[in-house]
Amino acid sequence: MESKLKNLKDSVLKDLAEIKDSQILADLKNKYLGRKGELNELLKSLKDLSVEEKPKIGKLANEVKEELVVLFSKAEKIISGDKKESEDLDFDPTLPGIKKEIGHLNPSTIVQYEIEDAFLAMGFSIYDGPQLESDYYNFTALNIPDDHPARDTQDTFWLEGDNLLRTHTSNLQVRMLEKYGAPFRGIFPGRVFRYEATDASHDHTFYQLEGLMVDEDINIGNLIATMKTLLSAVFRREVDVRLRPGFFPFVEPGFEMDIKCLVCSGDGCSVCKQSGWLELMPCGMVHPKVLEAGGVDSKKYSGFAFGLGLTRMTMMKYRINDIRLLESGDLRFLKQF
Amino acid sequence: MYLSVNWLKSWLKLPSDLSAQDLAHQLTMSTVEVEEVLDQSASLAGVVVGKIKELAEHPDADRLQVCQVDLGSSVEQIVCGGTNLSKGMLVAVATVGSQVKWHGEGELVTLEKVKIRGIESNGMIAASSEIGLNNLFPAKSEKEILDLSSFNLKVGQNLSQALQLNDFVIDIDNKSINHRPDLWGQYGLAREVAAIYRLKLKEYQVSELKIKEEEKLKVTVKDKDKCFRYLGLVIKNVKIAPSPWWLKVRLEAVGLRPINNIVDVTNYVMYELGQPMHAFDAKMIEGQEIQVLSAKKGEKFVTLDGVKRRLNENSLMISDGKKYVALAGIMGGQNSEISLETENIILESANFQASNIRRTSTALGLRSESSSRFEKSLDPEIAELAIKKAAELILALNEEAYVASRLVDVNNSPFSEITLSVPEDLINKRFGVVIPTKEIKDILGRLQFKVTYKNKIFEIKVPSFRATKDISIPEDIVEEVARIYGYDNIQASLPEAKIQTPQIDLAHTTTKDLRYWLSLAQEYTEVYNYPFTNVSWAEKLGLNLTEHIKVKNTISADQAYLNLSLLPNLLAKAEENFRFFDEIRIFELERVFDKNKKGVYHVDPAKKKYLPAQDKQISGVKVTVKDEQVAFLEVKGLLESLGEYLGLNFILEKTTNNFSKLVYNIKEQDVILGQFGLLKESLFDSGPTKVQVAWWQLNFSSLVKYINQNTSYQSLAKFPSVNRDLAILVGKNVLWEDLVKEIVKVSPLLINVEPFDVFMGKGVPENKKSIAFHLEFRSPEKTLESEDVEQLIKKILDILNKKFQAQIR
Repeated sequence: MESKLKNLKDSVLKDLAEIKDSQILADLKNKYLGRKGELNELLKSLKDLSVEEKPKIGKLANEVKEELVVLFSKAEKIISGDKKESEDLDFDPTLPGIKKEIGHLNPSTIVQYEIEDAFLAMGFSIYDGPQLESDYYNFTALNIPDDHPARDTQDTFWLEGDNLLRTHTSNLQVRMLEKYGAPFRGIFPGRVFRYEATDASHDHTFYQLEGLMVDEDINIGNLIATMKTLLSAVFRREVDVRLRPGFFPFVEPGFEMDIKCLVCSGDGCSVCKQSGWLELMPCGMVHPKVLEAGGVDSKKYSGFAFGLGLTRMTMMKYRINDIRLLESGDLRFLKQF
Repeated sequence: MYLSVNWLKSWLKLPSDLSAQDLAHQLTMSTVEVEEVLDQSASLAGVVVGKIKELAEHPDADRLQVCQVDLGSSVEQIVCGGTNLSKGMLVAVATVGSQVKWHGEGELVTLEKVKIRGIESNGMIAASSEIGLNNLFPAKSEKEILDLSSFNLKVGQNLSQALQLNDFVIDIDNKSINHRPDLWGQYGLAREVAAIYRLKLKEYQVSELKIKEEEKLKVTVKDKDKCFRYLGLVIKNVKIAPSPWWLKVRLEAVGLRPINNIVDVTNYVMYELGQPMHAFDAKMIEGQEIQVLSAKKGEKFVTLDGVKRRLNENSLMISDGKKYVALAGIMGGQNSEISLETENIILESANFQASNIRRTSTALGLRSESSSRFEKSLDPEIAELAIKKAAELILALNEEAYVASRLVDVNNSPFSEITLSVPEDLINKRFGVVIPTKEIKDILGRLQFKVTYKNKIFEIKVPSFRATKDISIPEDIVEEVARIYGYDNIQASLPEAKIQTPQIDLAHTTTKDLRYWLSLAQEYTEVYNYPFTNVSWAEKLGLNLTEHIKVKNTISADQAYLNLSLLPNLLAKAEENFRFFDEIRIFELERVFDKNKKGVYHVDPAKKKYLPAQDKQISGVKVTVKDEQVAFLEVKGLLESLGEYLGLNFILEKTTNNFSKLVYNIKEQDVILGQFGLLKESLFDSGPTKVQVAWWQLNFSSLVKYINQNTSYQSLAKFPSVNRDLAILVGKNVLWEDLVKEIVKVSPLLINVEPFDVFMGKGVPENKKSIAFHLEFRSPEKTLESEDVEQLIKKILDILNKKFQAQIR
């Protein structure tokens, strides 16, 4: 038995030395190591051995088997042309990797989705609505009647047919309350328009993300905490916010929310003009008239609303110093994101 | 709106350690938005009073003089080009190191020691505009320097101190006081400051008029709903002269140019109380009475700025019975303006309906300090205080003057006292923190609300100056208490809300998916474009501009139409980018606006009318230097895989349009969802480089409706498939589509046919092409034998030969 194994090994070595063709190698491998190959046939006779011999010969047989497997795999490598070992490659692995080119999203899209994800996680849903809007939903329903001086602060593109391009995403507040009623918890990201000349910090087309939460007993502290939580998630660090009075006819009370300067952490720097704070967004408690316009009982429900400047957040995040780049379509800019 | 800290001190004793910066900060946190704090003395730092001791001609310049100027502690040589220099004159000297505006224009420049045409000059003898004092000292010519000789000033003194220009001025953002008519005057702001700092506010005092009734002034208000109150008064024997210095300094602080002792008084009162006023030259008022009435459409009137205005039926006018003398609440008329000859005046202090003032001033394109106050809904009560104050001041400035008529008062004020019942609970619930009852009462008291408290309800009387529209509902009281109590004292706490059914919008999730898919898998970059269509590309694409929604007030002529398609802007952007990139793939997913199609969004809650359609489109443009076949097939492939990705069965159907050399409709069932094609080459400017421009567009809003999310699993094949490749020769115009139709008919065992090489040229007969393709056969029942497959292949070749004269290669 022992010698049979040795002979088998020798004949494999002899055969392998002469091999030049992969098909023949495969046949040979089958002949020796296959299911009905010579080695297996030999091993079948193990059962006839004595109890003393069995472990000894069994061990030897396994060793031979392992040896043969290695021999065949070496031979396969040689036949398939993979002759060299890694230390003598004939190409330069320090050349740059071959990358697949990918396209790019507008940075505003990227920031929008980051913020959306945070709101989704807090149980807000995402809604969409018209950009071409009626005077009613953009102004009147929001407690901004015709001839109200607040219209001055939102210079408007007027369209044929007496409609307009919405000046804020707030146009969806009453639309959504009409449709879904209270309680309501949603955000509406989107494109808004102001009739004004463009320069590095103003564009007539930009993006906002409106939020609206209406439920029983919603208070100002809820608004602060929600925004603080959201902003901490978006900026991936603890942020501080503060409220100060701001007038917007569709909220009462109305606020401007400032965020503690992320650059200097409130010590004062050129970004925050030494004040330690950056103006972030208008917000407030939904005006009872707006709730009523949306068919919601203002005695039972209260709510908060805010208008996050998506374009402003994008510019802050990527330190973009010219707002017009965002709508420039310039690939030299867009390919950076 | 400017707030003068010195002016405030007329009614308040400010804490001595309170800086203007702190005051501005506190106002920002409690009341209004402050833009900046201006420090008068800082802006005049280094400017001192000098006296010209000697004057000599500059040896090398005709128009310059060399002055020896006494600055008290030293005598400096200064070269100056002023035309009015004289020996002994008192001048303002900007010393070396101070900042001036060169010729009154541009940025501030720091003065240095210089040589002017070889002569040393240490500082500058300033013209008024160069040190920002042109309102106080208007110069007759650019070369006129500021002559201070008429003032009794000490040489060497700081100018700001010498002229009492040492105020701090807080610049308040007008937007933040749109809703607060009471804050358009210094006294109203003083009231806020008093409330914030718990200071005692001096009552606003006016003395009673002493009347010598020589004249009967009659006032008739014909449009009572546009004029709520009109007070008039005749003052005789005024002597028009410049105002005294203290008055000029006040006006300077709030940014007004002093004019004369009548006009300045009306301006002063407007800035003090927020009440606009007007003074007519009584001689120019011909009739016997003042009438307040609406104009007729098309009438004309020359306002005191010399402009002829075309009136409309909303324009409320002041008339003397014969002619119009003022555009009510907006601007006086040129015909009755105060002049140097004026001796008798009629003072007006009125209250006009806010929205009509706003409508008129918008229609006429004329905004003034007066109209911007009236449109905020002023308190009619203040009109009386204002006219009494103005009369008092005019008399004080004109020794001979006296009140020559009764104070006529036509009062039709529609405002009545407002009392609000505010549950204590509401304040605390909205605030989120319990504020002690005493504290609430105290805060409201400081803001001059009259408060009683019973059964946990506050009964609150709103003062008249807050009652014209500002405070009308209990929530307004919440704000008043909260802002003074301090928003910093609010406890932030997350809302406790019930979990709600999430609204998952397939359009939104698909938007997100497609953006990622296009950018990450298809190498397309997302661009954002304006909603305004690129007119030149719209025309190139044969789009009819009259079908587009027109913008009434355009920023520029090429932004006059809303997008009806995303393609014009995308193509324009592709063309711009071609300067830097020769392979461009861009896409946009946005709304387009179609006035000929009814949209889904209603106009008002009645839901009877609908806005124009504003479907979302998704559209892309690809510019490539590859050949047209590749360019086309790549876009075709993009759309085919997009269909697969969304579970749609796109049918592509050839069609034509006038801007493409090849174009296909993209259909789902029978609905055309979009198109794609290759642009005619002549339309795209790629310079000398030959490129192919492929485009595609889909109506995203429609497409979403067909998305199939019901993918179900197919069991894996039990038997192996057999693969064979074939190459055939066919006529070069034979279409693959037609070949496939025949091939697949042969057997259901053929599960896939895919071309991998199409070749014409060497080795292929003329007018022929070689097509090589993979065939995959599989049976669901058994492992196919090679004879089975050979037979099927023979059948395929036979039928191809019969139909297309195809030959195997």
